[in-house]
Amino acid sequence: MKRKLKIYLPFVNAGIQEVATYRINWIFFMLGNALACFVSYFIWSAVYESGGGGSMSGFTMPQMVVYIVLMFLTGTVIASDAAYVVGEEIRDGTIAMRLIKPVSYNATFLFQELGNKLPTEIAIAAPMIIAVEIIRTVLSGEVQFSALSLVLYLFSCVLAYLINFYFNICFGFIAFVIKYLWGANMMKNAVIGFLSGTVIPLSFLPGALEKVFLFLPFSSLNYTPVMIYMGKYSGARLWYYIGLQAFWALFFFVLSKLLWKASVKRLTVQGG
Amino acid sequence: MKNIKRAFRIHRIFMAQEFKRMMEYKGDFIVGIISFFLVQLSNLLFLWIIFSRIPNLMGWTVNEVVFIYGLSLIPKGIDHFYFDNLWSIGFFIVRKGDFDKYLTRPVNTLFHVLTEKIQIDALGELIMGVALVCVSVQGISAQWDVFRILAMILMIPFITLIFTGIKTITASVAFWTKRSGNVIYMFYMVSDFAKYPAAIYNRFVRNVITYIIPFALTSYYPALFILRGENPLFNLGMPILASVVLMGAGIFVWHRGLRAYESAGS
Amino acid sequence: MITVDKLRKEFKKTVKEPGLKGSVKSLFRPKSEKVVAVRDISFEVAEGEILGFIGPNGAGKSTVIKMLTGILTPTSGSCTINGKNPTQNRKSYVKEIGVVFGQRTQLWWDLPLRETYGVLKEIYEVPDDRYKKRMAFLNEVLELDDFIASPVRTLSLGQRMRADIAASLLHSPKVLFLDEPTIGLDVVVKDNIRKAIEHINRQEKTTVILTTHDLADIEQLSKRIVMIDKGTNVFDGTIASLKAKYGQIRELSFETASPNAAEALGYDRHFSLGKDDLSVETEGNSVKVRFNSSVVPVSDMLSYTLEKINVSDISVKDADIEEIIRRLYGQGVE
Repeated sequence: MKRKLKIYLPFVNAGIQEVATYRINWIFFMLGNALACFVSYFIWSAVYESGGGGSMSGFTMPQMVVYIVLMFLTGTVIASDAAYVVGEEIRDGTIAMRLIKPVSYNATFLFQELGNKLPTEIAIAAPMIIAVEIIRTVLSGEVQFSALSLVLYLFSCVLAYLINFYFNICFGFIAFVIKYLWGANMMKNAVIGFLSGTVIPLSFLPGALEKVFLFLPFSSLNYTPVMIYMGKYSGARLWYYIGLQAFWALFFFVLSKLLWKASVKRLTVQGG
Repeated sequence: MKNIKRAFRIHRIFMAQEFKRMMEYKGDFIVGIISFFLVQLSNLLFLWIIFSRIPNLMGWTVNEVVFIYGLSLIPKGIDHFYFDNLWSIGFFIVRKGDFDKYLTRPVNTLFHVLTEKIQIDALGELIMGVALVCVSVQGISAQWDVFRILAMILMIPFITLIFTGIKTITASVAFWTKRSGNVIYMFYMVSDFAKYPAAIYNRFVRNVITYIIPFALTSYYPALFILRGENPLFNLGMPILASVVLMGAGIFVWHRGLRAYESAGS
Repeated sequence: MITVDKLRKEFKKTVKEPGLKGSVKSLFRPKSEKVVAVRDISFEVAEGEILGFIGPNGAGKSTVIKMLTGILTPTSGSCTINGKNPTQNRKSYVKEIGVVFGQRTQLWWDLPLRETYGVLKEIYEVPDDRYKKRMAFLNEVLELDDFIASPVRTLSLGQRMRADIAASLLHSPKVLFLDEPTIGLDVVVKDNIRKAIEHINRQEKTTVILTTHDLADIEQLSKRIVMIDKGTNVFDGTIASLKAKYGQIRELSFETASPNAAEALGYDRHFSLGKDDLSVETEGNSVKVRFNSSVVPVSDMLSYTLEKINVSDISVKDADIEEIIRRLYGQGVE
């Protein structure tokens, strides 16, 4: 037993060293993002206070707090850099190197990114879920934790990540048209921030708009997992939204394959 | 006097180079401006939806909130337009050792870094800020005398220096740690608090954003005077004081940092 | 012209104790230790001199150059050029110097090359008439005309290096620092660059301090070298004196038809030469013998060889500087 543990020590060691060198930067980055949560919290509590308390579009203030925290968590968990990575490879031409490798282009990215993300995700998700539960319990005065919701949430996050990943792969091909990747990504993030419910819960939108947004793939990113965790979706609705997520994941998966084929054609015909 | 003249001359030359560079990449700049415009638009939609539910926000009308929001974008946009290069210092110029170049030239390094680049993306913020201020004042029944309008315009350069000062301090951290981009980012995110009336925050947050990382001074306090005529000494004096202190601290930390600069790479 | 006096640079380096415990410790309480990169180096350079500044990797070469160019602040000691000191007044100091780092460029990447010179003209306050004359001169020496209208990012490495050298000379500096000016260039381009440097040095009496890994640069350009190792000055003198001091090595080469000539000759046994003083290389019919001529006089070596076997095309030459320095680096200089 002791010997077995010893084998893993170097890995733990390396992990901590990594934290010491470049994770400090990551921590500052996450702190910066967390600040945006605090701003949201204060603006919403001012809104609820000015609106005379009670419920707005199906959200009470305590629920809104949980919503903000879960949005932050979900956004971090499903984040993907794929658009940037693909874009950079297109811009500097290294994408051509992928042609000569006998593996799936998209899959290599997927596993690369998962490898980078998993340690931080576990580090951030577990304490935050505990925090959410404490907040919920304190604010509402009763324990609301449901293991089923948590499992469904995690499952929904996996689908959301796949949608996000393949959507970002597709978006990355925009580098063939737009050279300014940073600007293009900024644009994408601004639009998705709104369409995915990160800026404001979609139920606050006018009825028709809400329906459209709920069908668009972006609500499947952050909104669906968060609503599932909060127990807002149940029964047939729950399965409808999970089904919708699966549909969009498949859709972008296929689209990314098609775009990849098209770009291979372009690369081989034009020579990069 | 000769120095100032020279500074303007160098600044003009750098600007001219930047415009030539822009002409080489026209499409990029349109993308950049639109992207920052969209970011603001999404926040505005948020305000619009919220105010369709409530009559006012803790005593602030929709026009007043939009005014504060718009006012905060103007100095932020100016800083972003002129002094964006500090981000590059924090993210890669120091880390890659590319800072050497500045040290071998007979120009003040901070001045060189600040004036060398402009960031056209910032126009997205700037145009939105000016538009929001112009639209919102029409729905605000404040006393629009000459003094208030003058105060608003004269405050803008000082407030810009609050942003630039904080960015200079945090960017300078890179001289010791090689990389400070995300430190800049964290402090920059605090400026998000400046978008709304500081009255919505609790006392702790309010004190932090008034006295420690004073982004509330960039918009809310000046607006208290401009819109409501309250306490001009504090509401205008503090931002001016803060801008001088922060920019002074920025220059000091920067020059201390130069001594610690280790010029990585070969 | 240039006086370097007891220049010293210490860096702080964070150290980690081994093992998991050490990692955790360094996370919370990082320990640092002092590393002396440059240890009280002194030398002088006269006006118009081309000084070769050499040393093995990690010897502290670039640290010295960076202190001399005002980039790094020395821990102690000083360097002065014409009585000016970079730590006291960096701006007036750097006007006296031009700097080229072979691995970096100071050119405006996205713009036509001409634009860079326009900006540098302002930065260094070069008057219009001087600028025109200067550009004409630099054009002539470095042949910039062919690519002065092209964006810098499209230039070849050799063109870029010429452009960078011109940029560093625009303000007619008294001292030019060249850090690896020929790195990555092919032989012909290297030769052109060397000729240009030589030309400028001769015509304008520009003092040049040159660091390079290519010792051919040094041999062709400089009379004097300063060599450092582990942060200290280990040699300062002319190339001739370097050869006299360390360069007793001669190279004897000849062609012979007899098989196993080297074996048959057995220099090591006959002259009782150790490994340091002798090396023999055989390639087909040709043999190269490097030996220490202070132990075995050249005449003895020749007569012994000619006595023993039949040879054609025999010759003796000085070992080149590269050979000497390679030996010095290899041994670690005392």
